Amino acid sequence: MAGLSLREVSFRYPSASEVALQRLTLAIPRGGIFGLLGPNGAGKTTLVALIAGQRHGASGEMLLDDVALAEARRRAPRSLGLVPQEHAFYPMLTCRENLRFFGGVQGLGAARLRERVAAVSAFARLEPVLERRAGELSGGLKRRLNLAIGLLTEPEVLLLDEPTVGVDAQTRAFLLEQIRALAAPHRIIVYTSHYMEEVQAICDHVAIIDHGRVLLAGPLAEVLQDSAGFLALGLSAPLPAALAAEWRARYDLREEGAQRYRMRVGAADLVQALQAAQAAGCEPLSLAYGERDLESLFMRLTERSLRD
Amino acid sequence: MARVLLALWTKEWLALSRDVLGLAVLFLMPAAFIVVMSLALSDALKEGTRVTDFAVLGDPALAERLAGEGFRAVPAPADEARARERLRRGALGLVVLAPAQPDGSGRVTVLADPAIDALRLLAFRERLLGAALGIDLKQAANVAVEVVGSPRPARPSSVQQNVPAWLIFGMFFVVLPISALFIVERRDGTAARLRSQQVRFSLLLAGKIGPFFVINLLQTVLMLAAGVTLVPWLGGEALSLPARWDLLAIVAACTSLAAIGWGLLVAVCARTLEQATVIGGVGNILAAALGGIMVPRFVMPSAMQAVAGLSPMAWALDGFHAVILRQGSAADIALPCAKLLSLAAVLFAVALWREQRQP
Repeated sequence: MAGLSLREVSFRYPSASEVALQRLTLAIPRGGIFGLLGPNGAGKTTLVALIAGQRHGASGEMLLDDVALAEARRRAPRSLGLVPQEHAFYPMLTCRENLRFFGGVQGLGAARLRERVAAVSAFARLEPVLERRAGELSGGLKRRLNLAIGLLTEPEVLLLDEPTVGVDAQTRAFLLEQIRALAAPHRIIVYTSHYMEEVQAICDHVAIIDHGRVLLAGPLAEVLQDSAGFLALGLSAPLPAALAAEWRARYDLREEGAQRYRMRVGAADLVQALQAAQAAGCEPLSLAYGERDLESLFMRLTERSLRD
Repeated sequence: MARVLLALWTKEWLALSRDVLGLAVLFLMPAAFIVVMSLALSDALKEGTRVTDFAVLGDPALAERLAGEGFRAVPAPADEARARERLRRGALGLVVLAPAQPDGSGRVTVLADPAIDALRLLAFRERLLGAALGIDLKQAANVAVEVVGSPRPARPSSVQQNVPAWLIFGMFFVVLPISALFIVERRDGTAARLRSQQVRFSLLLAGKIGPFFVINLLQTVLMLAAGVTLVPWLGGEALSLPARWDLLAIVAACTSLAAIGWGLLVAVCARTLEQATVIGGVGNILAAALGGIMVPRFVMPSAMQAVAGLSPMAWALDGFHAVILRQGSAADIALPCAKLLSLAAVLFAVALWREQRQP
């Protein structure tokens, strides 16, 4: 399929005991924004580094439109842009000097460089601070400069690794709006974030990864739809073992604390299930049922909070 | 590729020009060492012009005959006890006790300050014998001495020793800004970003070599200028510049490449700024102590002189001395330059290899 395909990608850091990525398979389509979610240490940044060519030595395949990614990048070296988590620019240089440098090392000629510096400065609204040293900028402006540098070559593949970390609400809203505006039919955008609400707000596709594996992937609407029908139940007494075993098999029952349970129950079975609990002497004390948001889905899948 | 290199060099120049402390270390530190050490050692490293004061007890005419060639007659103390006292205090170098007999026969005794060099003592004894034999020492100065065969390297004067020595020390200190730039690039993610932009590491190395090579050449010009103008202005001896500027430039270039290679290796091996400062700084100081920068090699015992030959700073100093001190030819700088270039090639290769081993 057209887009970026990762097939059975595995990677281990030298001297690390655990693999960072385990046979990870993902299809990242063109058009829209692909959200990559995972707790710290899940493998998001490693995956971004492998796609960006910062790290080597992974097994498996990485294909861009069915061509090996490395070969595709050899053919079009400016096809990929990266906006890393860090403020990856030179603090002693001005914003303009940074933009000119990063454009220059990507081989942009003088006229094209001038044009692109002007374009990305306007896009990230950096014009008023172009002559200021980057190290003297506020956190929000630094993030905007970081983004602008990633856009200098109008890349076909854009990797955004937590691009809103540490900014105020206003800057975050601005960045999200601008990033959303970057989505185009020809472009592949991978967006990693700790912030579920961001991903839910701007992404069209999402993958949740943990321990280097994909736990869930697909269009955001389908993922959320797929997670509908979860029941969170607090009971007056523990479920009898036989009923618990039956529900485990039928409803994927999970215990979430003392007499607190979570399971996936279709609307048609909901009343029947509650009656069965009552018949077993377990009165429902609390109950929540319905479509889930990304954060609770994430917590269920990874069994830990996103910001752990 | 030229566009990429131009961007890298421009960035490096901008970054360096705004690092005032880094530039101060590269330019002011060696200049300060050159001035201080040239002045401090100006007497200690004087050879031909060294003057020893002596006195003759009991024969003023003998004192007059012995004076000259670095020996200066001073008024004699009243008696031997006072002469000994002045020798003990270092106020006098030598005292001749002339024979008491009126005909001049008898034993001549020379009292010497223990700090007097054995060769100086021997020279004085020769003068004394000449005087005793009735040879007119003023006429004897007409005796021509011919050096047969290849002359041994001359000893440098203070300024000839200290200008190239501290210049080399300063040149090798590019290790600090080079490694700091690399480590900050790694720490801030700019190195990773450049990798994602497919900028080859060899180009990044080349991007560092160009600007720091120019810095090293600037250091050479300014430190030589300090030796020519600043040191004599402050009362020291002026540095005489060599006739062969081309050879001087070649030695400086080879030294620069070795220094930059060392900087790149430290940059690749060190993980933190602290590590780079310790490895680079201590490495430089050890190489300087060993290589005759801090203590001239000719004052070291022979075993230490052999060990000193292992220091790249000693190779560089040999090269500079061949040009500045002995006005040598291309053949004279060939060996030190070959050693420096070989070292630079090895250091660049190891730095590249080590970086490419990273996953």
